[in-house]
Amino acid sequence: MMKHATWTRVAIAALAITVGACSKGDQGGQGGQGAAGKAPAATTKGKDKITIAMIAKSSNNPVFLASRTGAEATAKELSAKYNIQVTVNWLTPPEEDGQVQAQRIQQAVNDGVDAILISCSDAGKVTGAINDAVDRGVAVMTFDSDAPQSKRFAYYGVDDIKTGQSTMAELAKLLNGKGKVAILAGNQNAPNLQKRVQGAKDEAAKYPGISIVGTFNHVETPQDAAAEVVRVDNAYPDIQGWAMIGGWALFTPALVKDLNPARIKVASVDAIPEQLVYIEKGVVPVLLAQSVYLWGSVGVETIVDKLHFNKDVPQMIPMELVKVTKENLGTWAKQLQAWGFTNVPPQYLK
Amino acid sequence: MRALVGKLVGSQETGLVVVLGLLAVALTVLAGSHLDRVTGAIVNNFWNSHTLIQTATDASFFAIMAIGATLVVISGGIDLSVGSIYALSGVSMALFLRAVGTASPMTTTVLGLVSCLGVGLACGLLNGALVVGLRVHPFIVTLGTMWGLRGIAFVATKAQSVLVPTSLTAVMKASLGLGGGLYPVPMLAMIVVTVLGTIYLGRTVMGRHIFAFGGNLEASRFAGLPLKRIQIGVFALSGLTAGLAAFLGASFYGSTSSGDAQGYELYVIASAVVGGASLTGGRGSALGAMFGALLIVLIRQSIRTLHFDQNYEWIVIGCAIIIAVVVDQWSARLNARRLSRAAAATRMTG
Repeated sequence: MMKHATWTRVAIAALAITVGACSKGDQGGQGGQGAAGKAPAATTKGKDKITIAMIAKSSNNPVFLASRTGAEATAKELSAKYNIQVTVNWLTPPEEDGQVQAQRIQQAVNDGVDAILISCSDAGKVTGAINDAVDRGVAVMTFDSDAPQSKRFAYYGVDDIKTGQSTMAELAKLLNGKGKVAILAGNQNAPNLQKRVQGAKDEAAKYPGISIVGTFNHVETPQDAAAEVVRVDNAYPDIQGWAMIGGWALFTPALVKDLNPARIKVASVDAIPEQLVYIEKGVVPVLLAQSVYLWGSVGVETIVDKLHFNKDVPQMIPMELVKVTKENLGTWAKQLQAWGFTNVPPQYLK
Repeated sequence: MRALVGKLVGSQETGLVVVLGLLAVALTVLAGSHLDRVTGAIVNNFWNSHTLIQTATDASFFAIMAIGATLVVISGGIDLSVGSIYALSGVSMALFLRAVGTASPMTTTVLGLVSCLGVGLACGLLNGALVVGLRVHPFIVTLGTMWGLRGIAFVATKAQSVLVPTSLTAVMKASLGLGGGLYPVPMLAMIVVTVLGTIYLGRTVMGRHIFAFGGNLEASRFAGLPLKRIQIGVFALSGLTAGLAAFLGASFYGSTSSGDAQGYELYVIASAVVGGASLTGGRGSALGAMFGALLIVLIRQSIRTLHFDQNYEWIVIGCAIIIAVVVDQWSARLNARRLSRAAAATRMTG
C-alpha cells in the first residue's frame, strides 16, 4: 500500500489541472490555442500562421499591459486585413526577473512559437537564450529594453540616453536652471534605466545651478515608487525638483496632494491615463510620453513584415517621445482612448 | 524481493514519482504538437527532449538549494537567506573572475566553482554561528542576513549586471553529445547533489544526527550529541548548496546581478515541504526535495504548455503547497491513529 504522501501529490496535480482548466477561458482570443487537438504550428517564413510570444518585464506594470493591448489589437487587425492568423501569447513574468525571462524564452521556443517580442530585464541574462532561440529558427525582436549583443533582428524603443537628457532638460527649464533635484530611477538592474539615469546626469552637468542630491531606486510598483518619493521629500526638505525617468510614482493619484507645485517641480517620463490628473492639477507640468501601446503594435507589425512579407526591417526602429502638457492634454487623452485604454478620465475627452 | 518492493511502494518519494508521472502523461496528451524548424519533424509540445531537459534545468537551481535547505528544515530550523547567498556568491564569482582576467577554461571553471562554494560556505557558517552564538531563532537570523547579504552584493556591483566569462557558459552549456540546444549539465549536477544528499542523510552518522536533533532536541542533548556543531553544520551545507546553485545559474545564464534569485527562498522552502520535509523538524529527504522542486516547476510548465492564463500561476502554486501540507498532516494523523489501533489490538490478543 502506498503511503499517505501519494495522495498528497495526487491532490496537488488534480488541483493544478483543475485551477488551470478554470482559468483557460480567460485566455481566449489572445493567442491561447486550444490545448487538446491543437493543430501543428506552421513554419514561419512567408506562411500565414504566426505565433508570437510576448515577454515584457513585469505583469505588474501598467505600461506593459498597454503594450499587450497594442500587440493583441494589432494581431487581430493584421489577421483580418491580410487573411492570416497572428496570435500573441503573453508570457510576461509577474515580477521582474531576467532568469525567468530566459526560461520563458526557452519554453516559448520549445512550444514552437514563430517569434518572440521581449523587453529585457537583464540583457546579460537573456542574451544566451535569445541566441539559442535564433539558432533554432525563431525570430526575436526587442522593445523598450534591448539586448544589443544578442542575435535579435530588431529593436524598437526610445533612445534611453536622450530620454534621460530630455527629462532633466525639461526639469531644468521649470527650475530656471537652478535648484537641488532628485532622480527617481526604478529598478537598479535594468540597463535601459541605467542609461536614462546617465543621460539625466549628463544633462544636469550642463547647468551649473542644478545639483543632484541622489538617485533613488525602488521596486517598480506605483505604491513603492510613490512611497519612495515621499520618503525622499521628507529626508531632503530642500529638494526643488524631481526628474522621474519612469512614471511609476504617478501611476497612482497618491502624490497629487503630497507634491506641492509651489515647492517642487516635476518632469516625468510616461503619460498613461493615471498620470493625466497630475497635468490637469498642475502638479507635473510636463510628461514625456513613450507611446507604450506602440511597443506591442509596432512590434507585431515588424514581425509580420519580416515573417509574412519577407521584408527587410531596420535593426533600430526609434520611438520618439511625445511632450504632454496642459495644452495638448485632451488630444493625448483621445489618443490613449483610441489605443484601447478604457480608463481615460472622461473629463479629458471633451 | 517482496520486502524491497514493499519498501519502494511505501516510500514517501514514490508518491511524488507517481504524481510527476501522471502530470507528465496528462501534459503529453493535452499539449498538442508543432513542426520543428530545424529537423522538420512533428514534435509533441511537452514530450520532447528540449522541454524535458529545460524543465529539469529550471528545477535544478531550486532543487540543489532545496536539498541544502531540507537539512536545515529537518533540524527544525529555516533558512530564508538562500536567495541572497545565491546572489552574493554569483556576483562575487563574477567580480573575482573579472579581476583575475583571461585564463584557460579549466582554470576559470575551477576558480569560479571554488569562489562560489567558498562564499556560499562562509555565508552559511555565518548564519549558523549567529543562530548558535546569539541564541536567536533561525527565522530572525536568516531574515536579517537575507537583506544584509543582498545589500553587500548590491554595493559590490554598484547595481550593475556583471558578465560571467563565456568559457564558463560554454562549460555549463556543453551538450555532452546530445546535440544542439540541449544542455544537461545543470540537470546532472542536480542528480549528483541528490545522490550525495541521500547518502549523507541516510548513511552517515552526521546525517542521522540531524534527524535526531530535529526530531527530539532534549533527547539529543541527553544523548550527548554535539548540538552546536550540528546546527552550524546544517546552515553551512545550506550555504554551500546555494553557492553551488549560484555557480550553475550564473554560468548557465551568462551574467549575475544583486537582484538574482529574489524570492527564490520561498520556492526552495516550498520544494522541501512538498518533498515531504516537516517544518517542525525530524523528517525530510534529499530525493523528496528534488522531486518537490521538479513538481513545482512542472506545475509552472504545465500552465504554459497548456496555454492557460499564466496570471494564475501563483494561485495554483500557493494552493498546491497549502494542500500538500494539510493533506500530509491529515494523513500523518490517520497513520498514527491506525498504528495505535494496531498496537491496542496486539495488546488485546496478547
